[in-house]
Amino acid sequence: MNVLVLCAKTALACLLIVAGGAKLSDPASFASTVRLFIPVRVAWPVLSAAAVGVSLGEVAVGVASLTLPAITALDVLVFAIACAFVAVSAMGYAFHRGRSCRCFGTLFQRKFDAAGVLRSAVIAGIAAVALVHVGAAALQLDATARVLLLAAAGLLTLAAFTAARARGTGSEPEPKVVAQ
Amino acid sequence: MKIPLYLAVAQWTLLFAFGLLLIVVYRQLGRTLHKTDTPAPLGPAVGSKAASLEYSRFADDTVQYLTPGDGQPTLLAFVDPTCLACEKLVLALGTAERAGEFSGLRVLLLTSSPKSYLKVSDAFRTTRLECGRILAQATTQEYRATSTPLLVAIDRDGVVRAAAPAIQLAEVRTFSRACLLPPAGGESIPITPAAPQHENDLEAAAPAAGAD
Repeated sequence: MNVLVLCAKTALACLLIVAGGAKLSDPASFASTVRLFIPVRVAWPVLSAAAVGVSLGEVAVGVASLTLPAITALDVLVFAIACAFVAVSAMGYAFHRGRSCRCFGTLFQRKFDAAGVLRSAVIAGIAAVALVHVGAAALQLDATARVLLLAAAGLLTLAAFTAARARGTGSEPEPKVVAQ
Repeated sequence: MKIPLYLAVAQWTLLFAFGLLLIVVYRQLGRTLHKTDTPAPLGPAVGSKAASLEYSRFADDTVQYLTPGDGQPTLLAFVDPTCLACEKLVLALGTAERAGEFSGLRVLLLTSSPKSYLKVSDAFRTTRLECGRILAQATTQEYRATSTPLLVAIDRDGVVRAAAPAIQLAEVRTFSRACLLPPAGGESIPITPAAPQHENDLEAAAPAAGAD
């Protein structure tokens, strides 16, 4: 059971890090998704700042959850974020069905659809599993291990950022000559 | 030395995450390397819901949002000022606009080039059509605008009715008619895309067209 809970814990941390890192590579994309959920007209710099803030928040929570596994409050925070995902997916499905959610920036093409709501619910379920108490011995990490995990988390953020950037720039239009 | 259980699990999870990202990069690399042999589909699928997009309008440098399906049919032209074919399309669009063929239609020229590039082309510099720079990389991905010029006809419900490369006035007219089609499920207008020339001709013509 411990392994299952720890798998859930680390998988969610990695998910948050990858999602945040990928979004950071193209904040303009995510800003437009943020705009869908704000009923009033908001200036572009504010939306961009909100998009960057959400992305950085995801990365921060993911990194903290990965490197500080013994802090229960972080598990609760991750669960709350997962519940927010469900709410956003459901609202997106209700009001913006078929539109791209850009949850992973340009990394994956996800849309607001029924499958998206289901995915979010599964993530919330995994977050609930991660709330289960695990013995302190299994979560004990020394300073070196923490530093290594922090480095790995940083590297994962960078890898997600780079992969999303590669996907984005790889699909930029090229001028072509067409038959007249 | 015994490794804590958490560290062991975290290692495997991180390995899995890195592997997943590696596959994404590998697939993108494969697409890039095989671009000339197996061209990616151009333009969004007909019948699909058009993605919302944001662009920086060149006229006043403000950010504008376009939400297809807001009740106004839209004709999107993905163009590049350095491409001769795009210049011809912009001229054709200008002719149609002056002839009043775009009444009730929103026509938008979108480019990924900065505003300063407009000066390389008379057609772009003098056009009266709304022109802007795409802000999000995801937009070109969602519209599959992998090459220019590309025209996308979107009806008032935000459904893509036609998408193909085009440069001639007749093609522009066909696309503008496609934008005004009744809601999906009704009639359709067949669009014959302007096929790319042979590969050798493309290479020969590219420098003359100012293509990268």
